[in-house]
Amino acid sequence: MKSLDQTSSLFWLLVSVLVFVEAIRLGVGSVHSPDMGFMTFGASGILGILSLYQFIRASLRKEDGHALPLFAGKFWKRVIFVILALVVYARVMPLLGYLISTFLLMMTLYGLLERKKIWLVFTASFVTTLFTYVVFSKWLSCQFPEGLFGF
Amino acid sequence: MFDSILYGFQVTFQPINILFCAGGVLVGTLVGVLPGIGPAGAMGLLLPATFSFSPTSTLILLAGIYYGVQYGGSTTSILVNIPGEASSVITCIDGYTMARQGRAGPALGIAAWGSFIAGTIANLGLMLVAVPLARAALSFGPPEYFALMCTGLIIVTYLAQGSVLKSIMTALAGLILGSIGLDLITGLPRFTLGINELSDGVGIIPLVMGLFGISEILENLEGKLEREVFKTRIKNLMPSLKDWSDSKWAIVRGSFIGFVLGILPGGGAVISPFVAYAIEKKVSRNPEKFGKGAIEGVASPESANNAAAGGSLIPLLSLGIPPNPIMAIFFSALLIHGIQPGPLLIRQNPDLFWGLVASLYLGNALLLVLNLPLIGIWVKVLKIPYKILFPLILLFCLIGAYSINSLSFDLYVMIFFGVAGWLMRKFGYEGAPLILAYVLGPMLEQNLRQSLLISGGSFWIFVSRPISGVALGCAFLILLSNVLPSFRKQRQKYDTFKE
Repeated sequence: MKSLDQTSSLFWLLVSVLVFVEAIRLGVGSVHSPDMGFMTFGASGILGILSLYQFIRASLRKEDGHALPLFAGKFWKRVIFVILALVVYARVMPLLGYLISTFLLMMTLYGLLERKKIWLVFTASFVTTLFTYVVFSKWLSCQFPEGLFGF
Repeated sequence: MFDSILYGFQVTFQPINILFCAGGVLVGTLVGVLPGIGPAGAMGLLLPATFSFSPTSTLILLAGIYYGVQYGGSTTSILVNIPGEASSVITCIDGYTMARQGRAGPALGIAAWGSFIAGTIANLGLMLVAVPLARAALSFGPPEYFALMCTGLIIVTYLAQGSVLKSIMTALAGLILGSIGLDLITGLPRFTLGINELSDGVGIIPLVMGLFGISEILENLEGKLEREVFKTRIKNLMPSLKDWSDSKWAIVRGSFIGFVLGILPGGGAVISPFVAYAIEKKVSRNPEKFGKGAIEGVASPESANNAAAGGSLIPLLSLGIPPNPIMAIFFSALLIHGIQPGPLLIRQNPDLFWGLVASLYLGNALLLVLNLPLIGIWVKVLKIPYKILFPLILLFCLIGAYSINSLSFDLYVMIFFGVAGWLMRKFGYEGAPLILAYVLGPMLEQNLRQSLLISGGSFWIFVSRPISGVALGCAFLILLSNVLPSFRKQRQKYDTFKE
């Protein structure tokens, strides 16, 4: 936990410095006439002080012998794969349209944990895509992108 | 008031509103049973579909979801020992033990009845408190609003699980996040990084779905995906006379505790079950029974979370201040429909307020009538393997985030906050203070700047006015209490209890 707290407090410190500088650039104003950066100036200032405090406190603390590493022994590669799949989906949906891109995403996600029965993955992806399209696009009038192929 | 509630029932009993209410409680129960999507996700998913309907129907739907989730969460707690929602965590202790003792039926039954009674008590409280509070709030100025919001944020950070310091830091990050977009007074962009889509700020639906929905799925994907539904025949859903006798005061106490804590900004439905359970154990003649299948250990927290759901509507509807992230979505829904939440809401939109109040009675009754017979279906839902569920939940989140503005950018925002939320969980930071600060941030800033303009730059205005002075005094005491050793010990005990 010690190193986790140190890492996270350094991250927040970086965020606070960036926001603090930007708040000054935007204009802090004065208490008589607060400007655009007034509140973020204060918020980032306090965040910076608290991050520093947390960093020092974590550094002075003894290392917890039972602390587990952040990713070791877990299926974190699965998580990275899903995140990448979602980013690609967000990128290709406007180009390929809802139906094709969603079908491909579902194939990927169902296929992630079910590698043997491809026909099942295919059927589940097809049914899910069609079902959500009918419910959300046709019944609930959500506007999905049509993409290059017009559907 | 009698005429008003009659008028409310006239509004609620319009066919479309009955449909929305029934749909809301069913979707809410389903969401409560399913892990991952959460009430915020479900609300975000259905919100775009309500754009063509009235704000009253929309609010009835959202309230139905919120109530339904509280109910559905208990089913998983009792049958799987995994809470569907954070508000049902404590129900696992005695609920699952009861299920293992062959008493899953009475546990589910008392959870449903307790929720119904508590919901009804909370509705009565809502009717009695919201209107006078809204009237009083008409005299509030920017300093009072600023002080109340500050107090709310401090209570949220104080009640958050784990480190208060980390909660304050996430709340500050939420304030910064809420300032992205056009400045409220000058109308100029700030912190937009040159991205046009950020001119309107970060959308609440992608933010909430990412921080709560996506992050939970990512966390689940890291671990084992199998979960075991306790194999038992669910019978005797109607609690026996002895069960009633054991639970009656637990339900009453849970209802009042939940209602009061629901009004306070902060945990609401999440915190109140813990407090109710702790008090119930303390006042019980047989505290040793708790943890070993005591029916009061189910009745009390389940009543508390439902009553808190009703209570948390009060600050939103009478002051225009959302006390928790779910109410922040209600707040956004009202704004999307062109209604400004605040003290004038009840006076200017009586159909909305009284229609919503009446729908809460209807929703509660529907939950009882529909869900007890449908318990078999919810058990079947629980048995769906997670490898089938998680792609569906992810897709629903994607659809919900996209369909608000039909922008791919919102998908990126949701994914970003999904990853951020997943990392925050690993590093021990909570999402709730961030969301609440994000929602309150723009209002807080506006009221702060207006107050300083009124006072000519003097901070004395926040202390010299009675309401803001008392509110800030309370906030200061709460902060101070965290530093005092005796309070810190109490808090550590509370955290251990929650874990």
